[in-house]
Amino acid sequence: MRRRTGWTMLAGYAVLVVFAAIYLYPFLIQIATSFKTDSQAAATPLSLAPNPLDLGTWKRIFGLTGDSSVPILGWFANSVLITVVVTAGRVFFDSLAGYALSRMRFRGRGFLFAAVLAVMSVPGVALLIPKFLMVTYLGIYDTYAAMILPLLVDAAGVFIMKQFFDSVPVSVEEAARIDGAGLFRTFWSVVLPMARPALITLTILSFQGSWNEFTHFLVTTQSPEHKTLVTGLASLASGELGAGSQFPLKMGAALLTTIPVAILFFSFQRYFVRGANEGGVKG
Amino acid sequence: MRRNTRLALVATTAAAALTVSACGGGFDQQSSAQQNTGGKAKLTILIGSSGDAETNAVKDAAKKWSDKSGNTAEVVVASDLAQQLGQGFAGGTPPDVFYADAGRIGDFAKAGNLYAYGDKVQDAGFLDSLAQTFTYDGKLQCAPKDYSTLALVINTDLWAKAGLTDADIPKDWAGLEAVSKKLTSGNVTGLVISGEWDRIGAFAKQAGGWIVSDDGKTATADTPEMKAGLDEVQKMLKSGSMKYAKQVDAGWGGEAIGKGKAAMTIEGNWIRGALSKDFPNIKAKVVELPAGPAGKGTLVFSNCWGIAAKSKNQAAAVDLVKSMIATDQQLAFAKAFGVMPSTTEGAQKFAETYPDDAAFAKGGEYGQGPVNIPGFDPVKAAFNSNLEQLASKDTKAVLADLQKNTEAATKGQ
Amino acid sequence: MHMAARARSRRPGGGIRGREGIAGWVFTAPMIVVLGVFLFIPVLMALYVSLTSWNGNGSPFAGGQNATFVGLDNYSALFTRDGLTRDNFMQSLGNNFWYVVFVVPLQTATSFFLALVVSNRFLKGKSFFRTAFYFPSVTSSIAISVVFLFLFQNSGAVNALLALVGIDGPAWFSDSRGLFHIAFGAFGVDNPAWASADILGRSIWEWISGPSVAMCVVIGLAIWTTTGTFMLLFLAALQDLPVEVDEAAMLDGVGPWQKLRHITLPMIKPTLFLVITLGLIGTWQVFDQIYVMGKGAPAGTTLTPAYLSYQESFRSLKYGTGAAMAFIVFVIIVLLTWFQRWLMSEDRGTTRRTRRAAGVAVGLEQGTHAGGPG
Repeated sequence: MRRRTGWTMLAGYAVLVVFAAIYLYPFLIQIATSFKTDSQAAATPLSLAPNPLDLGTWKRIFGLTGDSSVPILGWFANSVLITVVVTAGRVFFDSLAGYALSRMRFRGRGFLFAAVLAVMSVPGVALLIPKFLMVTYLGIYDTYAAMILPLLVDAAGVFIMKQFFDSVPVSVEEAARIDGAGLFRTFWSVVLPMARPALITLTILSFQGSWNEFTHFLVTTQSPEHKTLVTGLASLASGELGAGSQFPLKMGAALLTTIPVAILFFSFQRYFVRGANEGGVKG
Repeated sequence: MRRNTRLALVATTAAAALTVSACGGGFDQQSSAQQNTGGKAKLTILIGSSGDAETNAVKDAAKKWSDKSGNTAEVVVASDLAQQLGQGFAGGTPPDVFYADAGRIGDFAKAGNLYAYGDKVQDAGFLDSLAQTFTYDGKLQCAPKDYSTLALVINTDLWAKAGLTDADIPKDWAGLEAVSKKLTSGNVTGLVISGEWDRIGAFAKQAGGWIVSDDGKTATADTPEMKAGLDEVQKMLKSGSMKYAKQVDAGWGGEAIGKGKAAMTIEGNWIRGALSKDFPNIKAKVVELPAGPAGKGTLVFSNCWGIAAKSKNQAAAVDLVKSMIATDQQLAFAKAFGVMPSTTEGAQKFAETYPDDAAFAKGGEYGQGPVNIPGFDPVKAAFNSNLEQLASKDTKAVLADLQKNTEAATKGQ
Repeated sequence: MHMAARARSRRPGGGIRGREGIAGWVFTAPMIVVLGVFLFIPVLMALYVSLTSWNGNGSPFAGGQNATFVGLDNYSALFTRDGLTRDNFMQSLGNNFWYVVFVVPLQTATSFFLALVVSNRFLKGKSFFRTAFYFPSVTSSIAISVVFLFLFQNSGAVNALLALVGIDGPAWFSDSRGLFHIAFGAFGVDNPAWASADILGRSIWEWISGPSVAMCVVIGLAIWTTTGTFMLLFLAALQDLPVEVDEAAMLDGVGPWQKLRHITLPMIKPTLFLVITLGLIGTWQVFDQIYVMGKGAPAGTTLTPAYLSYQESFRSLKYGTGAAMAFIVFVIIVLLTWFQRWLMSEDRGTTRRTRRAAGVAVGLEQGTHAGGPG
């Protein structure tokens, strides 16, 4: 009996290791290829050890060569700007709204919450053209405003915060309110600190969502100076910027796109897991 | 309580709607293009560049004009010209001047996006085929900026290695088949082309056929001449002496010949710049395409300097275009990235200065410009899908499909 | 939680309640403005545009030559008018259908299998494996698609790997043959007479082609990316299973397969339902990967309705048709979700609360990434 379990265990581990390799290998290839030259990448696609180690791609990405046809650092700056602003906005506005929907009694609250649920269920595919229409209508097409404003509040984030506040006892706030603190002060100095785990989860999800966002930027902007890492990489990969395959460059840009989220992921793993279980993860 | 809730919600929605309609009106801003009078104009030029060489050349030309005229012109390189133009037109902020591909002139003109200034540049002396390509609805919509044609590009080293000489340069289809077969050995395929209409069309033209009639009003896709052209391509594909670029892991014919996977390819002027930059070790020779049953035939590609109907600086834009199509400016472009000037005078000077590329220049005389009827883009995409698998398809069925779709497009659907 | 809520509603409010009323609206004002202006109203605008033939010029609400009101013509043309638009739309529907049929079962099964293995009590390095499997889910779909573009080149890593075991890998992105066509071909069947009937512009033979080889790469990509997320959902559900049931089963001598079928599976029904619904919603919206991996090539076999809607609007300048396509997909997703919910609740009678909770969780998951997950 034990020997059979031993073989089963071994087989199980083998399967797991193979799967893990399949899941991790593409990332390793990304790193390795960004250190190869164009012809090397074509000649030795499987190899994880670039030989010789070529820094040309990275020099190009960081603007150390004269080639300005692919301004990856500019894309990076845009991504950072958008992500920081949107994340801050979402954390603040979502928790405001979530708190109100959970705690405050006001007329129309039920209807509002139902509306939030309804909005959440509209699939993204139906939103490409509507967003373009509205952005053009307001005259902000191809501006940072168009990239940021529509993303400042997301229904899912509001839902997460409301769920969280629903589960927290009301006693602490009660005490603050009886002491005479105004509603906003209560919210800011008493409730928010209490909500740290949910806020962290929301921050991580917002960061990930806005950093990886693609279709929204695709339909609301077009000029090169508004490209983020993701939209820039997409145009690079669809062959629009220069001839030849340039795979090391594409891998380098893809790596740059992946690294911030990876760092966030490894530092805050348990919040990602919790976020996934609360249902707030990219489908 | 509930009634008040509903009232409150109705009030909020009404307020929101009013606010939005007050703030909005982004669409209406576009309906009239008030022209800027006096003062310095700031123009945007949107180009679809083939590489750094072209970008820098256009930027230099724009700067020269800026210095001379006192206006400013900013050159923007599009990552996806068609999409950016489409969004620019809809978004109300199109570039003042932009590359307009001959195949899209019909679409743009029909949607009212172009300022047809052709009458202001008529005396520039454009080549007849080019003027015709850019005429829609009887008006010259824009000034052709250059042209390129397809020719046969031969890797001289592989040519010599196969024991071929100048006398073997194919003059007809039979000759082409023969040399392709001879050059196919091992890893090398005799002839590799991109599997799309923008290359295969040359064969159809050589057989005397084309997708639409000269005036662009009738679909002539399903004809024996078109079939002869497709049949020839299919024959060579099946024999293995011709392959598509994708089949040999190349992005286009130039990459195939550059990587040594092809001995010959059919490409346009731009191949010179690409080869010298990416594959400097390849020695190539350019000759005219072999003639088909109906004589010589090739394809002409051209862009023009489109001016947006919604541009606020149309006068300045026309002036900019005039400076761009001047003969010496066009020759400077030719030197930088290998395109050929669009005026008869320019084309002549080009042929004198670059005898090696005479084959490209000659093509302008018997070449066929692209189809420019509105709504042709999706038809072309569907046709290209079929062409990708030409080796396994029935050419008659493919042409029947093309005829059906083209007719729908000519009827304006 | 419910007790507290009931207790709260019975407390007197008075002055606080009045202030709360206004404060409530103030606190939710940003949300109302952003969601209303950028989500709710635009959808209504797009609905109107889908009833016109707007070509991008001028205002779509002004009528006139650029935006003629055509009523339901855009919608009916997609199904009844013979032409290229219908052909493309039907092909995209077919492609997406096969995509769904392959991705949803495979991703559900794989993520469940991985969750089972990772939740095993005797496993060492659990957290490493969990991280490894989940990591692809957090990265950008565009970045991943670019990596896969590289791996699946004709002479790329995947084909090199296949060559090691003696298989001659296909030209992944240029191969437009459908899987089932290839299978049929092995038996010598190619476009037989019994499959030549025309349904909505395509022959039966074309409808039963299965996903093309190029589409299979996208399918693989989808499974690779999403199994991590669903594995976590299954893990949470598995960890919630009461240990006593496990021990009772072992005491009773129930074998592992039987335990799986009769005990584990029924208890994780809600999660299974959630995963399948999320899968259905996500797979009908695949866009990013198509944009990067060929925009429909080869031969339109990776065309999906979401991408076609974009292409029709922004490239062909037929915004009315594009909007109509988007709403048709919206309806398909809603119908599928209702159908699936009905199917699974009818069978085993999950409680109303579970169903409602699951429904909300579905909306939450899918709404988190409003841009359209893969």
